[in-house]
Amino acid sequence: MDLKTTFARAKRGIKEDVRLYVVAVWTLTVAFLFLAASLLAMANLSQIADRWGQSGRLTIYLRDGARPSDVEQLRMALEALPEVREIEQVSPSTAREQFLDGSSVSGELAALPPDVFPSSLDVTIAPGTPAARLTSITERIARFGAVEGAETYRSWFDRVDALLAAAGVAAGIVALLVAICVIAVVANTIRLAVAGRRDEIEVLKLCGATDGFVRGPFLVEGAAQGLAASVFATMILAIAFVVLRAPVDTVLGTLAGVSAVFLHPLVVVALLVGGAAIGALGSALSLGRYLAT
Amino acid sequence: MARRSASGNLVRPFSFFRSGQRADAAASNRPILVLENVYKFFRPDVPVLRDINLEVERGEFVFITGPSGAGKSTLIQLVYRKHTPDEGQILFCGRDIARLTRASIPFLRRNLGIVFQDFKVVPHWSVFDNVAVPLEILEMPPRIVRSRVAEALERVGLAGRGDDRTSGLSGGEQQRVAVARAIVTEPALVLADEPTGNLDPHLALDILTLFEEINATGVTVLFATHDHSLLEARPHRLVMLDEGQLIEARQGLRGWGAEIGSDVDVDVAALDDMRVTMAG
Repeated sequence: MDLKTTFARAKRGIKEDVRLYVVAVWTLTVAFLFLAASLLAMANLSQIADRWGQSGRLTIYLRDGARPSDVEQLRMALEALPEVREIEQVSPSTAREQFLDGSSVSGELAALPPDVFPSSLDVTIAPGTPAARLTSITERIARFGAVEGAETYRSWFDRVDALLAAAGVAAGIVALLVAICVIAVVANTIRLAVAGRRDEIEVLKLCGATDGFVRGPFLVEGAAQGLAASVFATMILAIAFVVLRAPVDTVLGTLAGVSAVFLHPLVVVALLVGGAAIGALGSALSLGRYLAT
Repeated sequence: MARRSASGNLVRPFSFFRSGQRADAAASNRPILVLENVYKFFRPDVPVLRDINLEVERGEFVFITGPSGAGKSTLIQLVYRKHTPDEGQILFCGRDIARLTRASIPFLRRNLGIVFQDFKVVPHWSVFDNVAVPLEILEMPPRIVRSRVAEALERVGLAGRGDDRTSGLSGGEQQRVAVARAIVTEPALVLADEPTGNLDPHLALDILTLFEEINATGVTVLFATHDHSLLEARPHRLVMLDEGQLIEARQGLRGWGAEIGSDVDVDVAALDDMRVTMAG
């Protein structure tokens, strides 16, 4: 089939039904915007998770009355580990101050004496240290006599990971729903276009056009709808991202120490190609009945 | 697929119907269209066509006539494979088109020109676009398309009207557009299914003359009509269908009286009935 003729006929078809196509593309843009926004949220959540996962931290609580020599021995053992970046000793009074600064506590809690808070060592672990290695370090540290207990915050990160996995599933479901929605809208739009151009299809078939020749322009029209909608959705999302970036960055920076990111270029390309492909698929599904006659 | 000669003319193989197949040289000596013992049923036990036998030679002009519902359109539709015969065979250029696969039907139609009572032109297209369709299907280069469309429009008396919107044309002009589309690929056989049915008598005669001019260039024409005045006006071979059966008058309606004396196969009563029915 001659591609030039196919595109020329598709262009003529779009011009003839331009109002129908404008409505369809607008509807599809809303659907794609929903999908792209979900993907953007996923990208930023994933970034936060990576950031938190990489900023490994270990808090070692010391026994009451631990001897300074035992604490020093523990400190030397930690410093010998390649994963350890920084060690800070936190006294009971410092711990109390941090507690009171970081939370809005009632008057009774504010009256707590310093000896309620244990001494501890705050250990900063190198980014990218595997969770298994951190567990191994914690187990070895626990054998020291000066150690009351250790907190790796893994359970917190595990929860974040679980949350992200759930968000991923939700994004997948949204993607599926959007795909179904797009296929349905494109199929119905093309069906309307085909119904309005039945005489044209009949003439083509009487003149010896193959199914491929008849189908070609409609596939191009469906793909064009999907592509246009995904382009518009990406553009709207990009504009919203630029406008809202400053306040969002402030929140994310405070909460997670990261700044907002836009969709990865490959994700954008996949969105555009996927939009065109789904549009063509919807078109193909709507044509079968008319080609059979 | 049709190929082009160095001069840009279509070289049209006849033993084809699938892209790439070669012409059968012997086909040029055979009748262009042969129907043998053809039956067509749309309802069980009520045949629309019954045991139809017909041979059409190359370059012939054949009227197909009969009262409404006699099966004229069905006969034409069998030839361009809108329908498939239930029994018998239809040989077009020696190939049994009743046995064509669905995928081969477009290649059959590329070798036919078809004109209908309701024109079947796309009203919102220009005249040029309507006539150019068969050439675009054959993937002809734009330069050839332009020259061939111009030539076809000139032949039907619409020279210089290519840019006009088809919906703005009169009925007679729209039918001329349909005729131009039918002949633009220089088909071997033109099928006309009541092409004058929507036109006044004067225009009907004009259109008939147009088909005769096309026939004069060597194109075979099957012209279905129930318009008695056209049959009276021209002495072409006449094939009458009545209740699904075929009766022939080789010298047309005007010569039927002389012919029956020499042809015992002609059903005199049926022809007489036909004259009465159609004249009335």
